[in-house]
Amino acid sequence: MAKKCIAMLLAGGQGSRLYALTQNVAKPNVPFGGKYRIIDFPLSNCANSGIDTVGVLTQYRPQRLNSYIGNGQPWDLDVADGGVYILPPYQSAGEKGSWFSGTANAIYQNIGFIDSYDPENVLILSGDHIYKMDYADMLKDHLAHDAACTISVLQVSMEEATRFGIMNVGEDGFINEFEEKPAHPKSDLASMGIYIFNWKKLREYLIADENDPNSSKDFGKNVIPAMLAAGERLWPYRFNGYWRDVGTITSLWDANMDMLSTTLINLYDPSWPIGSRSPVCPPHVTGDNAQIIHSIVTEGCEIYGHVENSVLSPSVTVAESANVLYSVLMPGAVVEEGAVVEYAIVGENTVIGANAHVGAPPDGTDEWGVATCGPDIKIRSGAKVPSGAMIYTGEEV
Amino acid sequence: MKDYHGIILAYSAENELRELVSARNTAALPFCGRYRVIDFPLSSLRNAGVFNVGVIMQREYQSLLNHLGSGKPWDMSRRVGGLRILPPFGLPENHSGKYDGTVEALNAVTRYIQDIEQSHIILLKGNICANIDLDAAIAVHESSDAAITAICAKSASVGLHHRYVLNEDGFVEKMLYDRVNDGEGLPSLGGYIIHKDMLLKLMDMCKAANLYRFHKDAIAAYIREGGKMNVYVHDGYAGTISSVEAYYKVSMDMLNAENRKSLFNHQRPVRTKIHEEVSTYYGEKAVSRRSLVADNCIIEGEIENCIIFSGARIAQGAKLHNCIIMDGCIVKEGCDLNCVIADKHVTFSENTVLTGAPGLPVVVPKNFEI
Repeated sequence: MAKKCIAMLLAGGQGSRLYALTQNVAKPNVPFGGKYRIIDFPLSNCANSGIDTVGVLTQYRPQRLNSYIGNGQPWDLDVADGGVYILPPYQSAGEKGSWFSGTANAIYQNIGFIDSYDPENVLILSGDHIYKMDYADMLKDHLAHDAACTISVLQVSMEEATRFGIMNVGEDGFINEFEEKPAHPKSDLASMGIYIFNWKKLREYLIADENDPNSSKDFGKNVIPAMLAAGERLWPYRFNGYWRDVGTITSLWDANMDMLSTTLINLYDPSWPIGSRSPVCPPHVTGDNAQIIHSIVTEGCEIYGHVENSVLSPSVTVAESANVLYSVLMPGAVVEEGAVVEYAIVGENTVIGANAHVGAPPDGTDEWGVATCGPDIKIRSGAKVPSGAMIYTGEEV
Repeated sequence: MKDYHGIILAYSAENELRELVSARNTAALPFCGRYRVIDFPLSSLRNAGVFNVGVIMQREYQSLLNHLGSGKPWDMSRRVGGLRILPPFGLPENHSGKYDGTVEALNAVTRYIQDIEQSHIILLKGNICANIDLDAAIAVHESSDAAITAICAKSASVGLHHRYVLNEDGFVEKMLYDRVNDGEGLPSLGGYIIHKDMLLKLMDMCKAANLYRFHKDAIAAYIREGGKMNVYVHDGYAGTISSVEAYYKVSMDMLNAENRKSLFNHQRPVRTKIHEEVSTYYGEKAVSRRSLVADNCIIEGEIENCIIFSGARIAQGAKLHNCIIMDGCIVKEGCDLNCVIADKHVTFSENTVLTGAPGLPVVVPKNFEI
C-alpha cells in the first residue's frame, strides 16, 4: 500500500555537547521534562499527525534507544501496515558497509526501506528537539504549494538569527537562498531542521549528492543548496509554537525549566498527548515535612525534603532536610539527607550523598554554569560540586 | 510454560461499598491513585509466570472490561492462551441475576474450566489487595500430594472470615466460620491452588446438592471427608475491600511506608493499564504532606494524609485532609474537605465544606457536582 508520507527520524548523532549525559546513551534517549525522553516528542508528533510509519536512524550507542522504542506501542505506532523501525547502518552484499557519514547519507543508505513503502513524501526529523507540531498541517501546506521540499521555519530575532540556518524568501514566498549562521542575516526565518520532501525528487538529489566526492552528505550544507541551485520549489512552512533545540547542557536545562510553565508548552492538553514508555510505579509520596513548590513530580518519587522550581523524573528520592532548587533530576536519582542540589542536572540513578552540595546560583560571572552529574555516579557525603562542573560516570567525587 | 491456570472471581459488588459500586464491580474499584483492585491478583499471576487467566464477571462490568482490554499491561495478550473474559453465559431463565456463591459462578463457566489445558488452577478473589508471591505458593502446593492449597494471611484484617486450623503435619484439620477469637487459626484470603479435576469434582458435588458456597459447602465437605489441604501463608500486606469503611482503611494503610512497600514490592511490580499522563505540577503555594499523588494533577492548594488520583485539580486555598480524591475531580478555591471519598469526576465548587469521620467517610458519587 503506497503511503502519502512516512517519517525518517535522525537519531544517530552522538550529542557530544551533552557530555556526561550522552556518555553511554544516544541523545534522543536522554530523559526530559519528568516523564519523557527527548525522542518522545517527534514520535508523538508523528502519531498525533497520523504518520504511522517511522524509520529511526541510529548509530551512536543505540542499545538503550532500541529497547526504549521497542515495537512503538507507547506511541500507538505498533500498527500492521507500518510502525516504527530501527535502522542501523548495515552491510550490503559485496560491500564493506559503512557508518552514516552525514544526515543525507543516512537517508541515502535507507533508500530501499523508503522505497518499500512507496511514499509520495518523506518527512525528515531530528531527535533532539522539544516541540508539539502537526506535521499533517505542514504536509497540507507542502502539497498546496506543489513544493519539492518544504522546510519548517521559526521566526527568531535578528540577533538570534546569526546562530541558525536562515532562509531568505523571495517575493513569491518561496525560499531563494539559504545561509548557515550568517554574520549579517537578511531574514529572520530560522530552519528548524524539519523537512518534507517529495520522495521522487529527494531520491534523485540523494543519489547525485552521494556521487559527489566533495559533498559532506548533509541536508543543510549540500542537499538544500543543490535543490536551490537547480531552481526547485522550496517552501517555508511557518511554525509559531514552542520549539527548542536541546543540544547543549544550558539549553537542556532551560527547556526543562520551561516545562514548569504551561503557557510555554502545555503538556496537559489531552488533544496532543506525548507518549512515553512508562515504568508503572505507584503514585509519588510526600513525607511529613515535604515541601514542593512550583515543580513537577511524577510516579515512584518519594519526597521528604524541600523541592523548588525543579523537574523530577520517575522514582526520584529527596530525603528529609535535603534541598533541591532549580534542578533537573533524572529517573532514579537520590538526594540524601542535608544535601543541596541547585542549578544542576543529576543523571539517572546518581546518588548525591548526605550534606553534599552540587551547583550554585548564578553569580553573574561568565564562569558560572549549570552543574551536571552524569548517570550512575555516587557523589560522596559532604562533597562539593561547583557550578559548571561536569562529572562523568566512573569519576570519583 | 507453567502447568497452572488463573481464575479471578471478579463478579461481586458488595452492598456495603454503596455508591462506589453503583456502576462497577469491586474488582474495578480505583485504588491507590492509579490502580484498580483487580491489578493485584492479575499482577500476582503475571509475576509468577501464569499467563493463562480467566476473569469471571457478572454485572456492571463495563469499567472492568475497559480496564482489562486485551490484557496487554499484564502481558496477557497472547497468541496462545492469555486473558479470557468470562461474562455470564447460559444462566437458567428464572435466575435471580446474581451469582449465589463462588460455586455457582464457577458452574456458570463449567465448559471453560473443563477445557483448561493446565492441570492446576489458581483461584483468586478480585476484591483483595495483596501482592502474593504465587511462585512460593506453587512451591508449597507441589511439596505434597494435597489436591488443594489454601492461600492464607498471617493475621486477620478487615473482612476476613474463614480460618483454618492446622494439624501437626501442617495440613488443615478443620475450618472455622465467622465468629472466632483473635489469633485463632489462619485467616483465608479466599485464594486456592487446586487440581483441576478436584475443582470439577467439587463443583459437581455442589451442583447435585444445590449448594453454592465454596468455603462452607465445597471446601468444608472436602476437609470433612479427610481430603488433604496444604496452606500457604502470605506474610505481606493484605486488605479486603468489602465495605466503604474497609476501602477507606485499606487505602489509608498505603500512606504507611511498610504497608506500601509490601503491596508495591519492587521484585513483583504491580502492573496496571497505562494512561498517557503528564507529571503532577505543584504551584507556588502548594502544600503536600503524607500523601500519595498520581500523575497529571495540578495542585495549588493544601493536601495532607490524602490519596489523589490522576487528573485532579486542587485550587489554591483549598484544604484537603484524610481524603481520597479519584480521577479528574476538581476542588475549587476555599473548599475544606475532611474524610471524604470523591468518586471520579466530582466537582466541589468554591467554599464547599464537607466533613466525615475516619470510621464513616463521606462518599460523593461519580460525576456529582457540589
